[in-house]
Amino acid sequence: MDMANQARIKEIAEKYGSENVVVVLGGAEAESAGLTAETVIAGDPTYAGPLTNIALKLPVYHILELKELVDPQVYEDQISMMEMVLEVDEIVAEMSNIRDELMKD
Amino acid sequence: MAAVRAVHYINQFFGQIGGEEKADIKPFKQDGPVGPGTALQKALGSEIEIVGTIICGDTYFNENIDTASQEVMDLMAGYQPQMVIAGPAFNAGRYGMACGAVCAAAAERFSIPVITGMYEENPGADLYRKQVYVVKTGNSAAKMRDAISAMSKLALKLARGEELGTPAEEGYLDKGIRVNIVFEERGSARAVEMLLKKLKGEPYQSEYPMPSFSRVTPRPPIKDLKHAKIALVTSGGIVPKGNPDRIEASSASHFGRYDITGIEDLTEDIFQTAHGGYDPVYANQDADRVLPIDVLRQLEKEGVIGSLHNVYYATVGNGTSVANAQKYAHAIGLELAQENIDGIILTST
Repeated sequence: MDMANQARIKEIAEKYGSENVVVVLGGAEAESAGLTAETVIAGDPTYAGPLTNIALKLPVYHILELKELVDPQVYEDQISMMEMVLEVDEIVAEMSNIRDELMKD
Repeated sequence: MAAVRAVHYINQFFGQIGGEEKADIKPFKQDGPVGPGTALQKALGSEIEIVGTIICGDTYFNENIDTASQEVMDLMAGYQPQMVIAGPAFNAGRYGMACGAVCAAAAERFSIPVITGMYEENPGADLYRKQVYVVKTGNSAAKMRDAISAMSKLALKLARGEELGTPAEEGYLDKGIRVNIVFEERGSARAVEMLLKKLKGEPYQSEYPMPSFSRVTPRPPIKDLKHAKIALVTSGGIVPKGNPDRIEASSASHFGRYDITGIEDLTEDIFQTAHGGYDPVYANQDADRVLPIDVLRQLEKEGVIGSLHNVYYATVGNGTSVANAQKYAHAIGLELAQENIDGIILTST
């Protein structure tokens, strides 16, 4: 996750409180989505950005996991095309692995 | 036993100072671990203490290698180091060069164990692997956790003065050192065993690995340049403004093909570079500096060459693996072969 976005997330979490923030990702690959999720839960795994050693423990989901919460027409217009070409199962599995591993305790 | 005093070297990016825009900062010190050093410290436990961190911009270091090394050494000396750890640099070329140079200089000045971590294809790895322990890492910071674990294991062994196993066992790049080992089987028996495996098509491990060189057979010269059709291919990232194919600034996952029919000159309102590994200002001002369409159009007019192919190919060479580069080259070559091209000019950065 790039430096500017890390700084933005940090600022938003500080302003509104971690319990009032949910992060929704749109990354196209399981690995990068997983790394982003790790960053907003446990801190920057590359130890380079503003979230280094800062565990915000923010709840984080990929938009593909939230299909049922989104207006079907909006989802159809904005996401359905990408849903066809992306490795949906892989992304969803990676997201839940990261959450299971890092969100506990 | 008191902890071994280690000093950690990192660049401006991992020192959380900034990216390319801060790459020209001079070295400075900060007490205790910083950035990846905090992860290293966790893995090193109480046996090795990172007493200080030296942070330096990659551009500054590489443009002033001798003075920068000296400045870094002087800063390190203040910490009375018993070990120096640099990086990991993954596949960042200039960072890798700096890590290698810092470790080599520290080994010479302080006569202490030094260790860094890099991706095998990092130019710094090739240059310094013989002088320095270079732990093998993945090619990007996404592999930080594995790199920290491998580097700390080796650092602890070195600090304890334990005997190291082979480079493959310890996870560092071989230093070209030969060591006598006593085998139970004599050489001839081992050789026959290897030969039998080879004949059966089974995997076997040579005891004397040969370096692998990539060789490209030169093409025959172009006999008649006046009638030759010339194509341009670049790894310098020149793309139409806006980078329509979204070629990545580093570790490109694809290449693009762009029509230049009727274009005489690459101007800044229609072309730019997508490359993230060099200062883009001058290429953005005038992309012909990387992809000389203007000069080739001129040569075309003067009749020096027959014609310039109306499509050029571009990718970004920055951090792109050799294997991927070969794949793109093959694909581009196949396309150009169908266009009856007589010659290709490759431009880099």
